[in-house]
Amino acid sequence: MWMAYGFMMPAAILVAVLMYWPMIATVRESLFTTSFINPKPQFVGLKVYADIFSDPVFWQVVRNSIVWTLGVVLLQNVLGFFIALLLNQHLPGQGILRSLILLPWVLPGVVAAILWRFMYDPQLGLINSFVLRFGLADRGIAWLADPSIAMAAVIFVAFWKGFPFSTVIFLAALQNVDQEQIEAAKVDGAGPVRRLFDVIIPAIIPVAVVNFLLTTILTFNYFDIIYVLTRGGPLNSTAIFPTQIYEIGFGQFRFGEAAAYGTLSVVILVMIVAVFMLIRRPLLSHREV
Amino acid sequence: MPKLKTLLATSALTMAGVLAVASAASAQTVLRFWDNQQTESGLSKFQQEAVKRFEEENPDIKVEVTTIPYPEYQQRLLTAVQAGNGPDVSTVDQIWNAAFAEAGAIVAVDDLVAGSSISPEDFFPGAWESVTYQGKTWGVPFNVDVWFFAFVNKALFEEAGIDPASITTWEGLEAAAPALTDPANGRFAIGLTGNKSEYPVVMTNSMIYSNGGVVLDENGKCALTSPEAIEALEYYKRMTQYAPSGILNAANEQMRELFLNGTLAIELWPALEQPALDSSNIDWDLYAGFAPEGKTPVGTFGGWNLVVYESSPNKEAAWKFIEFMTREDVNGDVVDLIPANVKAASAFLEENRRKPDVILEHLNNAKPRPLSPQYLQVSEIQQNMVQQMLSGTPVEEAAAAACEAIDNL
Repeated sequence: MWMAYGFMMPAAILVAVLMYWPMIATVRESLFTTSFINPKPQFVGLKVYADIFSDPVFWQVVRNSIVWTLGVVLLQNVLGFFIALLLNQHLPGQGILRSLILLPWVLPGVVAAILWRFMYDPQLGLINSFVLRFGLADRGIAWLADPSIAMAAVIFVAFWKGFPFSTVIFLAALQNVDQEQIEAAKVDGAGPVRRLFDVIIPAIIPVAVVNFLLTTILTFNYFDIIYVLTRGGPLNSTAIFPTQIYEIGFGQFRFGEAAAYGTLSVVILVMIVAVFMLIRRPLLSHREV
Repeated sequence: MPKLKTLLATSALTMAGVLAVASAASAQTVLRFWDNQQTESGLSKFQQEAVKRFEEENPDIKVEVTTIPYPEYQQRLLTAVQAGNGPDVSTVDQIWNAAFAEAGAIVAVDDLVAGSSISPEDFFPGAWESVTYQGKTWGVPFNVDVWFFAFVNKALFEEAGIDPASITTWEGLEAAAPALTDPANGRFAIGLTGNKSEYPVVMTNSMIYSNGGVVLDENGKCALTSPEAIEALEYYKRMTQYAPSGILNAANEQMRELFLNGTLAIELWPALEQPALDSSNIDWDLYAGFAPEGKTPVGTFGGWNLVVYESSPNKEAAWKFIEFMTREDVNGDVVDLIPANVKAASAFLEENRRKPDVILEHLNNAKPRPLSPQYLQVSEIQQNMVQQMLSGTPVEEAAAAACEAIDNL
């Protein structure tokens, strides 16, 4: 028993030093007026939080973070699932298709974002050249400069970048679905749609739950794409927690406020995950029945 | 026995030699110098050559140069300084200088300047102003440029039948702009920006300065609601109708691409743009920005200052290094903007740039951005103000909101 604890100690110490201590230090820093120009900070308790809550930009960041996370997670998982279904058929050239589909995911986030910034360019972008050629608008659309559509534009890029991840996970799950059950359903006269909803989806629910959970956490904390495409603008319409924390901390040297934003982002993420876990329970229990 | 004596004597001499070398090495001061690289000019190679020269002149000092790419520089320098692992001497952006001074991270150099060959008159006035804060001097200007040169595409002007020289006044530019703009054929008069970045701040500041206004008055209060500033901001907003669409996410780099591919008739860039234009097939010319009729264009300074860190145990060596790097015969070799030393700049411009006199005059007239320790927050507020006014909020209303936010900092 003690030996087991002994073997666990190095890993436990590493986790404590590299993960929990910075987290605790961040929460502590958020209670002080820490900024670069104020290196001897004063304890102000929850004042930093009170100031943040009274700032309309914070609520805009909360709304944006939720819309961004839900948008990207739903799109990338739904499309990822359908592409996995296609790739699970025995199509000719299946190996090449599987490799090609991974390309967006393999690209570094910054590279993908720069690529899409060119594609979205109002004057020179590929997307606007199609829009103009097909007469959908009389001049180039400013995809990233219009506050009413900028969030949709950045969600689309993140979805394009992330769907291969979901596809790969779903594909692995689909390949583990018991073929005998599918055959049995066929014998019982179940068509493809019935088989999908009554056999395949229930079989992959545990994997889908993990997939949704992982992509939710990754998307909520995603920084590169929005920072490169819009830096949170225009008019804060695409500002989410990671971009806002970076702007406040490293853009303006206001470390205390950045720490408070960081703490709040963890709280909100935990709340989203908690809601998710609540939804997950009936889904899994339904499957067990 | 004599052999043993010889062996002992030889060993003693060898030991003494080793100790002497070791002692000399330990007496040598190691100076850590950090800088960033903004352009593909091969700067680090030239800096290393200059460092060799410095080490030859100062054999007791060894310089360790760390060159960091511009996008990472702020974060790495700030993290290191905050953690107490900063360099002995480094470049800092003009807009960080006051914050570093207020934080106590760097030392005031007034006494060192008084006892050295460095004199404020050797530098561009606006550049020297950028190292001052609360009546003290906190560094020495290293390199500079003005973010308000109007580069023109002569072919597009000729096509439109406009004299490029007419754009040096607000009135002339506004009169020329319609003829230079044809969105259906992908032509625009001028590249302006309104994204979340320093560029729209620098551009609007230049307009305000050229109209006789300021961002912060002598008491540090916001002056964006002054008639001069409002008139300048109104002008900027009006001119965006002749700029490419998507102004709220338009960055300077995008405007540069559009100028290089012949879409834009005018781009606003620092003089460092010239080598890129020379290697393009554009027939270009440059003017020192534009101002209302009868006024002189005043651009916004950008650039870097050399500072000595409070935590440095080698302040004397650091100051020697600054004296060396800003010397007339060295400054031009070690910067990738324009040397801040006027004589070095003059020689550099004569050799490397078109219209050196125009550039020199513009550098002499230029002003730094507000010298506030909270500059980065001031800038953020100005960025929001520009985005508000470009998305429909009346200029006076956007400026009033900005002033309220700035004065509450």
